[in-house]
Amino acid sequence: MSRRAGATAGSQSSLRLANRSLVVDTVKQYGGLTQVELAAATGLSAATVSTIVRELLAAGVVDIATTTRSGRRAQMVTLARRVGLAVGVQVGHRHLRIVLGDFTHEVIAEQSLPLPHEHRVDTTLDRVALLVIDLLEQMGSTLEDVVGLGIGLPAPVDTATGTISVQDIMRGWEDVHVGRIMSERLGRPVYVDNDANLGALAESTLGASADRVDSVFVRASYGTGAGIVLNRSLHRGFAGTAGEIGHLQLDPQGAICRCGSRGCLDTVVGATALIDALRSAYGSLTLRDVISRANDGDRGCAQVISDAGATIGAVIASLAVAVNPQCVVVGGELAETGELLLAPLREAVNRRLLPNRVAPMEVVLGALGTRAEALGAMLLALQSTDVPLDELDRDASAPGVLR
Amino acid sequence: MSDEARVPLLAMRGITMRFGAVEALVDVDLEVHAHEVVALVGDNGAGKSTLAKMISGVLQPDAGIIEIDGEPVTVPTPQAAAALGVATVFQDLALCENLDVTSNLFLGRELRSRWVRDDGQMEEVARRILRSLSSRIPSVRSPLSTLSKGQRQSVAIARTLIGSPRIVVLDEPTAALSVVQTAEVLTHIEQLRNLGLAVVLISHNMTDVRAVADRIEVLRHGRNNGSLDVATSSYEEVIAAITGAPTEPRPAQHAPLRSSTTAWPA
Repeated sequence: MSRRAGATAGSQSSLRLANRSLVVDTVKQYGGLTQVELAAATGLSAATVSTIVRELLAAGVVDIATTTRSGRRAQMVTLARRVGLAVGVQVGHRHLRIVLGDFTHEVIAEQSLPLPHEHRVDTTLDRVALLVIDLLEQMGSTLEDVVGLGIGLPAPVDTATGTISVQDIMRGWEDVHVGRIMSERLGRPVYVDNDANLGALAESTLGASADRVDSVFVRASYGTGAGIVLNRSLHRGFAGTAGEIGHLQLDPQGAICRCGSRGCLDTVVGATALIDALRSAYGSLTLRDVISRANDGDRGCAQVISDAGATIGAVIASLAVAVNPQCVVVGGELAETGELLLAPLREAVNRRLLPNRVAPMEVVLGALGTRAEALGAMLLALQSTDVPLDELDRDASAPGVLR
Repeated sequence: MSDEARVPLLAMRGITMRFGAVEALVDVDLEVHAHEVVALVGDNGAGKSTLAKMISGVLQPDAGIIEIDGEPVTVPTPQAAAALGVATVFQDLALCENLDVTSNLFLGRELRSRWVRDDGQMEEVARRILRSLSSRIPSVRSPLSTLSKGQRQSVAIARTLIGSPRIVVLDEPTAALSVVQTAEVLTHIEQLRNLGLAVVLISHNMTDVRAVADRIEVLRHGRNNGSLDVATSSYEEVIAAITGAPTEPRPAQHAPLRSSTTAWPA
C-alpha cells in the first residue's frame, strides 16, 4: 500500500532517495516512533523501512533504541543528536512555542500551546517547564542532554538579569526573574531576550537576511517590535530597549498607551487597535481571525492589515534612516498575510527613505515564518554555550548557571 | 456585543430541568455562533454536563426551547442530535480499546462500497481528518490500547468530525492530560474553530478555557451567572462569577448577586 510514495515516480535510486527523506521527515514530525509505526505512518513496507532505518543508522542520521509496544519488543527510531540539545521558547501574547534542536540547527521536536489573554507568569512558566520535560521525554532524552534554554518575551528584556526592563508592558511579569526561576527549576542555563531580537537573530543566521551584515527585523504581531543587527551582531542597546518601535510616538493626540505615553505605534497598529477598527462591522474578532479572513479575501480585514503595513512602514523608514540596514525583514503574525502587509509597508518605506542608488534597501518577508522567534531563542542558547564539544558529558552535572 | 444581528447556530432559551427537589437547571440561556468557542464553566453540580447532555440528545429539558439556525428543534435522542449536526465528546470518551483508530472513528457509521466495509476509503478519511487537526497519531491502524491518553482524546475529537457536524460539544477534554497532550487538544480546539464550527467547551481549567474560548458562560447552582468576553475579562472576574464572590461593578459585565433568574446581557 504505497499511499504517499507514489507521488515521486522515476528511477530506482530517486525512489529510494524519496523514501529515505520520507522516513526522515516522518521521524522528525513525530519525534520518535517504532519501526512498525514508521511503516504505517509512511505507507512503506516493513522491510523497506527496516532497510532504510539501517542505512540511516549507519550514516548517523538516526538513533535506535529498544523499547516495548503492546508488550512486544520494538525498535524506537529517533533523529540522532549531535552533541547536545538546545531549547528555544517563545512566550507570545496568545501562544507559547517550543522548539528543540541540536548544534546543526536542526529542529527535532516542536510544540505550540495556546495561552490565555494576559496569561499569568507563574502558570505560564510552569507550563513551559513541563512542556520542555515532556518533549524531551518524547524524544527519549532528559534535561542532561540540554546545553541551555533560550526564552523570548514580548517585552524589552535586560539580558544581564533576565528580567523585563520596562514597567507595564507585560503586567505581572515585570518583577520576575524569568531567567533565574527557569534555570533553578530546570537546572540548566537559561538566556532571556526580547522576541523581536530573537527573530532578528534567527533571520540573520538561518533566514532571509543570512548573508547581510546590517539588517532590521520587524515583528508585526499583537504589538510591533524590531530587532537590529549591526555588523552581524544583535544590537540590544544599554537596557535592552533598542528597536522597541511599538512605543515610538506616531500621533501626539492619540490614545494613551499601556506604557503610559501617548499615541505610540502600538495604539494604532496593535491587535487591540486592529480589532477595534473592525468591531462595528464584524463584531468580536481575534487577531488570528483578522489574518485568516484577510488571506481569504475579506476586504475589510485586508484593508486593516494594509493600512497597518503603511503605518509600520512609515516608522520603519525613520529607523532605517538612523541605522541604514541592507535589508528589512518582516515577520510576526501579520506577515502571514504576505504582500497584503508587505506591499504598503515597502511603499511607505521607499517613499520616505533617502534614495540610495548604490545599494537600495530591500524589504522582504521573513523566511522562517512564525517559528523565527522560537528558533532565535534556540540559537541564542546554542551561541551562548561555549562548552568544548568533548567536555559536554563531564559538564552535564554542573549546577545551572545564569550567565 | 455587536453580533446580535447574526442568528446563533445554537440557542437554548429558558432551559429548566429538575430531578425531584434538585434544580439542575433553572431558566438557563445559552447561545453559540458558528466559528465560536463558548466555554461552559462552573462548580461541580452547577449544571454544565446536564446542559451538554441536552444539546447532545441524552436528556430532555422539562421546559425551554432549543433552536438550531433559529428553528426550534427537539433533540429526543443522540441520533437526532447527530442528524442536526451536533457531535459530542463525553468525559469517558466512549472509545473501544481493542479496535484501531479508523474503526473507532467510524464505529457504527462504517463506510461501505456495495455490501462490504470499505476499509481503504475509511483509512483515507481517517488520515485526512487527523491531519486537518494537526494530530500526531502515527498510524490509523494503531489499536486504541497502544495510544496515550492525549492521543485518545485526539481520536475522540476526530471522531466528532466524521459526518461533518456544525456543533461540537467537548466535556472536560483536558482533564488529567499532561501539558504536551493539553497543548495538542487545545490546538485541536483552535482548528475546530478555524473550520467554522461552533464549539461548546466544558472545563474546570481556567487557563485552558481562557486560552481557546471566545466567551465564557458561567453557571452557578443551575443558573446563568455571567457571560464574559475572554478578550476583556480578567481571571478574577471569571472566578468571582463561578464562586459568587462580589466583584467591583463593571458596566455590562456585572449583575447583582443572588440573582436567581438573571439572564446576562449577551
